[in-house]
Amino acid sequence: MTAILNPRLVGAELPQPGALAIRGLNKAYRIDGRPLPVLQGIDLQVLPGEFVSIVGTSGCGKSSLLRLIVGLEREYDGQILLDGEPVRGPRLDCGLVFQDHRLFPWKTVWDNVALALKHQRLSRREKAERVDEHLALVGLTGFERAYPHQLSGGMAQRAAIARALITRPKVLLLDEPFGALDALTRIRLQAELQRIWAQQRSTMIMVTHDVEEALYLGDRVIVMEPRPGRIRHEVQVDLPHPRERNAPRLQNLRDELLRELTGD
Amino acid sequence: MPVVLTRLSVFASPLALVLAWLLLARFGGFPAQLLVPPQEVYQAFVELLQSGELREHLANSLSRLALGFCAGALGGLLFGIAMALSETVEAYCGPLFHVLRQIPSIALIPMFILFFGVEETFKVVVVAKASFFPVALAASDGVKGIPRRYFEVAEVYRLPLPSLVRDVALPAAAPPIVTGLRIALSRAWMVLVAAELLAADSGLGQMIEMSRQMMRIDIVMVGVVLTGLVGFTLDHGFRLLERRLLRWRDTP
Repeated sequence: MTAILNPRLVGAELPQPGALAIRGLNKAYRIDGRPLPVLQGIDLQVLPGEFVSIVGTSGCGKSSLLRLIVGLEREYDGQILLDGEPVRGPRLDCGLVFQDHRLFPWKTVWDNVALALKHQRLSRREKAERVDEHLALVGLTGFERAYPHQLSGGMAQRAAIARALITRPKVLLLDEPFGALDALTRIRLQAELQRIWAQQRSTMIMVTHDVEEALYLGDRVIVMEPRPGRIRHEVQVDLPHPRERNAPRLQNLRDELLRELTGD
Repeated sequence: MPVVLTRLSVFASPLALVLAWLLLARFGGFPAQLLVPPQEVYQAFVELLQSGELREHLANSLSRLALGFCAGALGGLLFGIAMALSETVEAYCGPLFHVLRQIPSIALIPMFILFFGVEETFKVVVVAKASFFPVALAASDGVKGIPRRYFEVAEVYRLPLPSLVRDVALPAAAPPIVTGLRIALSRAWMVLVAAELLAADSGLGQMIEMSRQMMRIDIVMVGVVLTGLVGFTLDHGFRLLERRLLRWRDTP
């Protein structure tokens, strides 16, 4: 049903990159020598080009899950496979946008974005073109020479998204990317992210605690519950993109999800 | 306030000081040999300048400062970074380092004179010592204080090591280190003048002490004022450099 409604998923059978498979994932931190489980028995399949939202209250391990997928955390039980290959550390085909933009304050917007291309064998001109192209994609043309402290929170986060996309990752992970922004900026950036996703055709996994945001952007919404973090269930959002923010179907799903998360 | 006035405001307090000095010398009832009026000090300054004596003293002091500061700051930088990066270095050298840095450089002068004699070496060594500790401390704290989140970004983008050092670690640690260098230079200058007071055959400090013995208070005053001005110039120059290097910071 999803496949029919969402043309992006029709290509899932083709050998298109960006498939993520997580099987039996357990993760525990050690606190004073005792293991504290943060994730338990996570099973998750993400199709290439799919947009998956993960919602849950704080402490449900959703950020830890992203850190595991991107390879910042290397100790875990179970399997994390990116296009069939186990994740052993950060790799360039998997990008991450942090909640705080994490731009380097001593570099201009342009240099911050260009830094992600350090390891790529591109000519100076190709690099410049690619940086300009990605700054244009996130609507930051004209701010190349600005330093991060001169940008608003929303603009800084756009720059961070440009930096994450410039390596052309197969999978882009977003860790509450709009969590620190004001409501209006958040709404605008959600629409932009939807546009960028449609243009880039890479797999995106976004962690958020904003149910509306999760439903508006996601092909699927994974609901997690805390202590230890587990997947409670998932919701298919069978609406084509681009979506109307106030579509009745979204409203219904939102009410359902909120009821569930607030525990009624 | 109009811009011109703001610029001139810098001179208000020095002028007030000179004026007070002038009045006190004339009407304060102090003997003229002890509280020399400013115009006579200026005259002594012009004489010393014309005879070339002053230039020689200054050149000697500044070359000692340059030599000692460069050696001490470089050593401090390397040691501080080593202490920040290696737990072994920290464990073995940390406690001793923190004890030694509590000893005022001036307190070491008598010992340094015994070890190195009264010639150039002891002055350069005491300046190097005065520079070493603030820089080492700043470098160690600066490197340790680099936020972990910056390294995570570098890890996600798999920055190669040279780039990690140049693009992330150095700029992140730079602000405290540059401040440490500036403080070290100030302290080194003060200690040097003090060392020259005690034992030297040239230099600004020696000029002050020699003139005191000959009751030439006007020259003593020239030396004192110049010591302040040189110190100020060095510090101010460093501040300008600091601002240039750290222009990305969110400070006006």
